[in-house]
Amino acid sequence: MVSDSIPKVSIPIASSNPKDFAKKKRANRSAKLKQSKLDARREQYLSQVKNKGLKEEPNTGGTHGSAKNVANERERLIEKLQIKPIGEEDNEGSLNHYSDFDSPTSHTSSVLGGNDSGTNFTGSSRGSSSSSSSGGCCSGSVSEEDEEAEDDCLDDWEAVADALAATDKKQEQQNPSLDSHFERNENMAHMSSRQEVSERQGSGIDRSKQECNDRGLTPRPPLSCRAWRPDDTFRPSGLPNLSKQHSFPMNSERHCRRDSVWGCKTLATPMLCPICCEDLDYTDTSFLPCSCGFRLCLFCHKKILEEDGRCPGCRKQYNQEAVEREATIDGGRLTIRLARSCSMISRS
Amino acid sequence: MYSGAPSGGIAIGGGGGGRGRGGGRTWPSTTSVSTSGKRIHKEMTELSMEAPPDCAAGPKGDNIYHWVATLFGPPGTPYKGGIFFLDITFPSDYPFKPPKVVFKTRIYHCNVDPSGNVSLDILTENWSPALTISKVLLALRSMFTNPETYKPVVPGIAHLYLGDKAKHDEIAAQWTLRFAR
Repeated sequence: MVSDSIPKVSIPIASSNPKDFAKKKRANRSAKLKQSKLDARREQYLSQVKNKGLKEEPNTGGTHGSAKNVANERERLIEKLQIKPIGEEDNEGSLNHYSDFDSPTSHTSSVLGGNDSGTNFTGSSRGSSSSSSSGGCCSGSVSEEDEEAEDDCLDDWEAVADALAATDKKQEQQNPSLDSHFERNENMAHMSSRQEVSERQGSGIDRSKQECNDRGLTPRPPLSCRAWRPDDTFRPSGLPNLSKQHSFPMNSERHCRRDSVWGCKTLATPMLCPICCEDLDYTDTSFLPCSCGFRLCLFCHKKILEEDGRCPGCRKQYNQEAVEREATIDGGRLTIRLARSCSMISRS
Repeated sequence: MYSGAPSGGIAIGGGGGGRGRGGGRTWPSTTSVSTSGKRIHKEMTELSMEAPPDCAAGPKGDNIYHWVATLFGPPGTPYKGGIFFLDITFPSDYPFKPPKVVFKTRIYHCNVDPSGNVSLDILTENWSPALTISKVLLALRSMFTNPETYKPVVPGIAHLYLGDKAKHDEIAAQWTLRFAR
């Protein structure tokens, strides 16, 4: 079945870790490949549904608010980009935002429309087949037979939605709008909701009813930006372990020596050297050459010492004290060094 | 043109000034790997995001070591309404050595000599690698409002400023009207 491949596509996107960007890209590509196939199937499906659903459309026409109009427009735009719009299809797609697939943030999804136009469409088709589902929720009318009968194509639309979401993300990167943050959340919430659906589908009709109630007129509050909590029971095992990542940061106490120039790392450490704009590594961040607190990387420090030797932060002459201290602490090494140079001089 | 300007070879280790301008080799500046290149790039992006008030600056062409800056004469000064163009030239060891700033627009100011060279302490002995072009522009802007009369490059103007500020302002406004519009 197609459904096996769905989690593969959706999980990398759903894992909200920014480091998974490469994975996402890959997923995007595969989703796009799929999309071309799915477009064809979708059109085929459309032509079937159209015959059935045409009658209801005028009824469900203008009953919706301005938010939906916005969504409508947006969706139309996206569909122009991606799929040849067929007749009233875009109209219908946005009408049934609340109907199917119950993204927990269904309220927000109406604003964004384009994200889940694919899924919406499934919903619309189902809504229309089940006698004039007043635009909003098709609550009771979805029977299990329906669900099973359309299971296959439903999965297809999930894949389409994936692809749309992926392209949507791309667009979002290209022209970040005001609600881009919002969209991202919604994207992730959407993914998670889909996961939920696929899990719930197994567990029968009462579940689906509950869903319908949930998705009804009282929208659930939007989820937090994390799609899955680490302790969530529904959390797929394929997602990376968050607790590991949390424990990963280095133990900052490690390299601290109290009585030298190498002071402890403080919280206000800049991540880049303000002079050369290179990343400060651990040695650099624990390097505090001046009492004014100005930090810089060792390379720049050395370069400055070779020239006028003044701290860039306070313009005071760099640390005689540090040199002295080094001399006192590493007295042994200093003498050794001197001895060596002396011997070289004497040899030449 | 401007001596010591490293130009042409941006991509090659900070353009040590080997190749002159118009050498036919223009490299995309994004390939710059040198310390100064990276730093200048960073300042460029920061300036494009938020420039100091009444200031603008950016590379003149492909060479990121050669910038042009614009200062608008701040209101309340005789330079009000004037637009002053400056050339900024970064040395190849830039953050460690100060940039060279030259007024391309004539200005009646005791800290700017007739050929446009600016005498500003932070551009010479008080330069710090922690300073940025944005801070230099701010300093230049404050120079408009408060001329540094203790070490002027044009003592005559400084004398006039100290002795007869009204006259000084009148001449400066005339120059602004004449050269900086």
